[in-house]
Amino acid sequence: MAPVDWMHLLHQAFFGAVAAAGFGVLFNFGLKALAWCAAAGALALCVRTLGLDQHWSLEAASFVAAVSASICANLFRRPLGPRGNAVALAGCIPMVPGAFFGQAILGALAVTTPHPENAAVILTAIEYLLRVLFTLAAIGAGLAIPAYLLKHREF
Amino acid sequence: MTDDPVRLKHRELEKIAMAALRVARILVECGARVRVVHQGASLVARGLGVEPVGLRTGYASQEITVHSGGNTITRMMTIGPHGVNHRLDHAMRRLAVRVSKGGMTVEEVEAEIDHLVKTTPRHPLWLVSLAVGLACAAFGRLLGIDWLAFGPVFVGGGLGQALRMYLHRRGVNSYVLAAVIAFTAASIAGASARLAGSTTTNLAMMASILLLVPGVPATNAQTDIMDGYPSMGSARAVSVLMVMGFATCGVWLAEALLGVQ
Repeated sequence: MAPVDWMHLLHQAFFGAVAAAGFGVLFNFGLKALAWCAAAGALALCVRTLGLDQHWSLEAASFVAAVSASICANLFRRPLGPRGNAVALAGCIPMVPGAFFGQAILGALAVTTPHPENAAVILTAIEYLLRVLFTLAAIGAGLAIPAYLLKHREF
Repeated sequence: MTDDPVRLKHRELEKIAMAALRVARILVECGARVRVVHQGASLVARGLGVEPVGLRTGYASQEITVHSGGNTITRMMTIGPHGVNHRLDHAMRRLAVRVSKGGMTVEEVEAEIDHLVKTTPRHPLWLVSLAVGLACAAFGRLLGIDWLAFGPVFVGGGLGQALRMYLHRRGVNSYVLAAVIAFTAASIAGASARLAGSTTTNLAMMASILLLVPGVPATNAQTDIMDGYPSMGSARAVSVLMVMGFATCGVWLAEALLGVQ
């Protein structure tokens, strides 16, 4: 088991919390719910970072992080109420690989130039695109599976 | 004019169907999943004394068929731009639960919807811009931007969000808006990061447009498909791809302008 870099873990958790709370403001969460969004973001990034430190793939680490956020949102149903799923989702937003998608498209544009430099460009573009698709799917599945299994799907 | 009992019943049914559709439309526009939208509309319809026979929610319109006694009617309503508004979403859900308990008239429900749409609080523009700028900069740190690029991403993301709200209010097409915002935010972040001496200009440009990442529709798309609504799920997935495609065009233009590889 690889040793944990605590400073890096704290860094990721802190900026995960800030990003989740920032997106919470954009999504018009109330002030109390914003604190929960920040906590969900910190938890998700903590779990994902620990997974990546153990050399898991980004997809696997994102999946386990989303499952953790969803389970915690279900465990805290009493204070959170029906907004639990929304809070878990806001917490997972910092894990959405938007930058990879941009790089995949820009890579694809490089492939379509009259004289593409080398095959590595094509491979990188495909890698980024697949990574985006699989990571998004992993986050969606990770959020949904606990909610379905725990059957806390009240309106 | 004498009241025809059958026509009067149809008129009542119509009012109830339209009230249920209004709740459903607002829920969709606030970013709710289709299962929640249908639950909300059904609660309202049942609370007002009719049985919803069928509901269909598409990306741009939705329909409801309600039944009472011997009468059945179907009504349709268009849906406006999709967004995310958590507080209004939950205010509508609470209203639907209240209506389902009975004791409210259609007129009272309509008045309550109007009241909630007008009075549900929204964060002020400056706070949203500030928060989104900070979120982009934090996102950037997670992606690996250096500290010199933190400020530029914060400014680019924040100004991008302010411009987004301004253009949204002017009714600019959401995909065109994504390209314009991406170009503006990435240009500001890229140019400022370079001036600041950052070695992660490219990443800073990407981080500054992350305010456009449609995370909620992307996860809703999957959940809708899992819940048995593949047409809405697919429509949401396509809209996510379109937004990201247009946003990437904006970044590509900004990179060309700044000469960033």
